[in-house]
Amino acid sequence: MEAKYDFERKYREQILQCSRCGFCQAVCPVYGATLRPALNARGKMLVLKEIMDGKIELNDDLIETLFQCTTCASCFENCPSGVRVPDIIKQVRKDMVNIGSCHPAFKGMHEVLEKHTNIYAEEEPEDFDREHKTKAEYVFFVGCVGLYREDESTEASLELLDRLKVDYTLIDEVCCSGVLEDVGYELNEDLARTNIERILATGARAVITGCPYCARTFINKPEYGELKEKGVEVLHLSQFLKDFDFDVRTDKLVTYHDPCDLGRHCGIYNEPRETIRKIAPNFVELRHNRENALCCGAGGGVRGAYPKNSLAMARRRLEEVEETGAKIVLTECNSCVHNLSNAKLRKQKFKVYNTTQFINELMDDAE
Amino acid sequence: MQIEGYNMPDELYYEENHFWVREEGDVVVMGMDDFAQAMAGEIVYVQLPDEGKQLKKGKKFAKLESGKWLGKVYAPVNGELVAVNEELETNPELINEDCYGKGWMYKIKPSDMAEVPELIHGAEAVEKWVLADIEKYAQE
Repeated sequence: MEAKYDFERKYREQILQCSRCGFCQAVCPVYGATLRPALNARGKMLVLKEIMDGKIELNDDLIETLFQCTTCASCFENCPSGVRVPDIIKQVRKDMVNIGSCHPAFKGMHEVLEKHTNIYAEEEPEDFDREHKTKAEYVFFVGCVGLYREDESTEASLELLDRLKVDYTLIDEVCCSGVLEDVGYELNEDLARTNIERILATGARAVITGCPYCARTFINKPEYGELKEKGVEVLHLSQFLKDFDFDVRTDKLVTYHDPCDLGRHCGIYNEPRETIRKIAPNFVELRHNRENALCCGAGGGVRGAYPKNSLAMARRRLEEVEETGAKIVLTECNSCVHNLSNAKLRKQKFKVYNTTQFINELMDDAE
Repeated sequence: MQIEGYNMPDELYYEENHFWVREEGDVVVMGMDDFAQAMAGEIVYVQLPDEGKQLKKGKKFAKLESGKWLGKVYAPVNGELVAVNEELETNPELINEDCYGKGWMYKIKPSDMAEVPELIHGAEAVEKWVLADIEKYAQE
């Protein structure tokens, strides 16, 4: 029987490789929040097998099952059969968009990025009262969440770069549009071209970004390949900051949440910890950390499409913070900061910060 | 009072960003009005700052978020935040379900109660203001 959809053409063997062991269930944040077996990777692979066997149709009835995934890759990390679930999910979402079965939030996001330069359709660009230089050693690329949702975190990152006397500039950035690939669409080439041109125009030798997702997009997507060709390095802010000394320190018990986009997707686990250990010798790991970190629930468009479940996932993560007794939880992703801060209950007295925000606060206190 | 389908009780006072205010002894209660909750859609998050926070009239003191919109909450009067609706921490949709009742947001002790009557008040003024905003948002 001829394959009807691209997901089958590309990933049939992968899907059949799922042995239904259920290791993924134990680590799936969506399952953890909903306790619905159809929503974990095993459930999704079973559904896809049924479609390949012609037993059920791929249609609107499966939007909730197949669009409710943070693409955190925890299932892939723990899969004894090596099933590349996030890749399969991204492909099946594209197949669904092709047949007109897309979650309205993602259809909306795609439409927004056809007309606007950021995912929130915000009209007024944020410049953080900083002059855009014509030439600089580094470009600091903020990302949509840092521009329009977690501006305090971004302000702190910029202040820290100022304090460290880094020669950087902001640009009139537009959405990297990598997220479209996760939610059934293709990366927007016009937006990518705009970013590349504006970065190259500065003569910068590297782009530093506080957004792990933007970093991932710049490094991995062929549409941004020109950056590498022209010798422009891409660094996540945690990689850039690890070699600095900050001369500040806290005695408070500090823990760290690994963002999925930085950890499992980029393999960056040590750099953030190197920085944290310099400023917070009293450091404790969360129960699930590094490759096994529990997702905050914001990724894969889930915060926008399923906000209640997304916040429930963040609350599960914050329970692990409570277990440690930490007073401070640091992370390196504005989406994680946003979701964890929103989910934090008033009775939970610890604070959630982007690492730069916390360093900046320590520096303010020391002055 | 119904204005083009929006329920805008005329005994309340209104802050221009569509938050209502009601006097309750020496404090005021505030929340989001029906027009704003309908425009925002399902509210998914409300920031509940610690009590004791000093508020400055017209200045942002909290954020709220629906699936499609990030809103700012502005202080309707100068004063001190004395209570927040903790139910909203886990059930922010109460704002959509009952914006003038169970969905109340904050209680503020004004520095000067005389600031309350400076807010938008009275059937005529409220109607004029809401109709103008309906037109404004329709254009957007």
